[in-house]
Amino acid sequence: MLETPALVAQAADLELVIRHVLAGLGHGIHAGRERGAGVEFSEYRAYAPGDEWRRVDWKLLARADRYYVREAERDSHVAVWLWLDATASMAEPSRSVQGLDKFWFARTALACAAAIAQRQGDAFGLVICTDGRIDFTPASRGPRQLQRVLAALQRATPSGLLPDADVLRANLHFARSPSMVLAATDALDWPSPLSEALLRLRHLRHDVRLLALRTQAEVDAQFASGHAYRDPEQPGVLHRFTAEERDAYRAAVGAHFDAVWANCRQHDVPLCVATIEHPVGAVLRDWLRPPSARKR
Amino acid sequence: MASLQPLWWFALPVLLLPIWWHMQKRERVKTELLATARFLPAAAPQQQRVPRWIELLLLVLRLLLLVTLIAWLAVTTIPWRGDTVLIEAPLESSDPAGVVQQVAAAGMTQAARLPLPSDALSWLVHHEHEWRPGARLLILASQLPMPAEPPRLAHPLDIRTAPAPASSAAHPASTAASAAALPAHAIVVATTDARRPQWQAVFAAFGTSAVGRYQLQQAPTSDTELIVWDRPEAPPANWHAPLWWRSGAATANALTINGLRMHIADAPQGRIWTAPDWLPANESGAAALYETWQQLARPTPAYPMPQYASSPTRSAPLPLPGVEPAQWLAWALLALFAIERILTHVRRR
Repeated sequence: MLETPALVAQAADLELVIRHVLAGLGHGIHAGRERGAGVEFSEYRAYAPGDEWRRVDWKLLARADRYYVREAERDSHVAVWLWLDATASMAEPSRSVQGLDKFWFARTALACAAAIAQRQGDAFGLVICTDGRIDFTPASRGPRQLQRVLAALQRATPSGLLPDADVLRANLHFARSPSMVLAATDALDWPSPLSEALLRLRHLRHDVRLLALRTQAEVDAQFASGHAYRDPEQPGVLHRFTAEERDAYRAAVGAHFDAVWANCRQHDVPLCVATIEHPVGAVLRDWLRPPSARKR
Repeated sequence: MASLQPLWWFALPVLLLPIWWHMQKRERVKTELLATARFLPAAAPQQQRVPRWIELLLLVLRLLLLVTLIAWLAVTTIPWRGDTVLIEAPLESSDPAGVVQQVAAAGMTQAARLPLPSDALSWLVHHEHEWRPGARLLILASQLPMPAEPPRLAHPLDIRTAPAPASSAAHPASTAASAAALPAHAIVVATTDARRPQWQAVFAAFGTSAVGRYQLQQAPTSDTELIVWDRPEAPPANWHAPLWWRSGAATANALTINGLRMHIADAPQGRIWTAPDWLPANESGAAALYETWQQLARPTPAYPMPQYASSPTRSAPLPLPGVEPAQWLAWALLALFAIERILTHVRRR
C-alpha cells in the first residue's frame, strides 16, 4: 500500500494518510484515561456525522428510533495545540522525491497528531502562522473538530513571512490551562517571533514539542551548482552555490541547527529534527515520544 | 466622398502587437527558490534580460492572419453612394440653368453630383457596387455614344442628352463657321515640286465641314496625322506619324481595298501603306482613296444616344471586378484562423 513517502505524498486525502500513518502507531501521547465507549458512562449525545458506529447505542435506537452516542467520562483536561509554520520557506520541496515538500510533511504530521488527540478525547486547536498573520482554530473535542482542523490544514498554503512578535503575543491568550504544544516548522528563522513565543509557552509550563523539518538535500548539501538561488522570504537577493561552497554551506547550516538545539535544550524544549524523506510514521513516533524516553 | 478602403493599409502597425507578444524577455540567469539560501554567499545580480522569440510558427501564422485580414478589408467594398447626378463638365459650365432645371425635373435636387467620366456606361457597370441599393442615377450630357446593348444596371438610370444638332448639310450658312471651329488636321506631303499642286488640290477637296480642313506642313510635328511620302528615296528616320502613304513597288501579299491595291505594314515610324502611286488620277480615284482612308484610319463616329430611362435589371450589383482575390483572401483568412486556433489549443495543452 502506501509504503514509501513518495506514494504517501501523492495522496491528497489527509484522512487516508492519517489512517495509514496511525495504523502502525500506538495510541496515546500522554496518559489519557479514556478507553472508548462503555467506560465511566456519563451521558447520551445525539449522533453526529463522523462518530464511530460502534459507539452508537443500538438498544436506544430501537427504543427511541434516534441515533444516540454513548459519551464516556473524560479524564483528560489537557488541550493540544498544533502550531503550523506556513511561511514561504516551508514550500521547500524535496529534491529527490517528487511532490513532497516541507509543508506537506508538517501538515500531515499535525493532522496525525490531531487525529491521535481526538482519539484520546483531548481538546485540540490549531494555530497557523502564515503571511504575517495567525489563523486560529479554537480548541475543542470530537470528530467535528477533527474535520474543522483538517479543513483548516488543507486550506493553508505556505506564503509570506512569520507574524511579528506583537501579533503572536496577542494570540497567546489560550495559554492559561495546561496544554501541549506541537509545533512543526523548518526552524530556519531562529531566534524568531515564533521561537520566542514557543519558549515563552515553555516558561508557562506548557509541554512544547518542536519538530524541525529539513530535506535530505539540505543535509547533504546536494544542490545543482551554477544556478542562482533566491530565498523565498527575501526574493530580491541572489545567492550562488558552487562545489567550493559546499563545505561552508554545510558548516553554516550545521552551526545554525546546533544553535537551535542548544537553545531548545536550554529551555527544556524537546527538539525533533527530521528529514522529510523519512516516513511520517517514524518521525511522528519520535516527535511524540515522551521526553523521558528520548536518547538525546 | 472617396472610398476609404485603401486607408485600411494604415492598420499595418497592428502587426507590431503579435511581434511584441512573442518577444519574451528571458532572464539569462536561471534562479531557483531555496529555503536555506540564506546560508549561501550572496552573488552579484546578473539579471540580464535577453529578448527571445517564442512560438515562431504561431507568430508567423498570426502575422499572416492580420495581413490577410487587412488586405481583405482593403479590397472589400461597402456601397456608400446614394442618388447621384453625373454631369458632363462642359455642359455644366455652358448651361447651368438648364442643368438645374433637368435635375429638378428628375427630382434629384438633393443628389450628389459627379463629373461624367468618359465611356460613362461601362464605367457605371464597373462601379455599380459603389451605389447603395435603391439609389437613382441621372446622366446629363450633351451627347453620349449609343451602346450596342442597353445598359443593364442594378439601379434605375435616367439619361438625358441634349437634342441632336441638325445636320450641317441642311444649313450651308453655318458651314464656314463650323468648319473654322473644327481643328485643322496636320498633313505632311513630301513630294516633287511638279506634283505638289495636285496633292494640295486633293487635300483641299478632302477637307469638309464635317471633318475640318487639312493643313499641309513641311516637316512632321507631334500633331501630324499623315505623312505622304511621294519620293523615290527613303524618308528620314526621325519622322513619325500614325499613318504613312509611301510610294513603292507592290508586293505579293498586297490587299485590294475599294479598288486600291496597297500593302499595309507597321513600322516604328508608324503604320505604312505602300502603293505604287498614291496620287489619285481622277475624281472617283480621289473618292475611293478618301473613303478608304476614313474607313481604315479613323474610328467610326458613335451614334448619339437619345433620351433613355431604364429600370433596374438586377436586384444586386454585379460582383466586384476584383472579386477573385477578395474571395481567395476570405478563404485564406478562414483557413489561417482555423489553423491558428488549433495550434494555440495544441500548444496550451
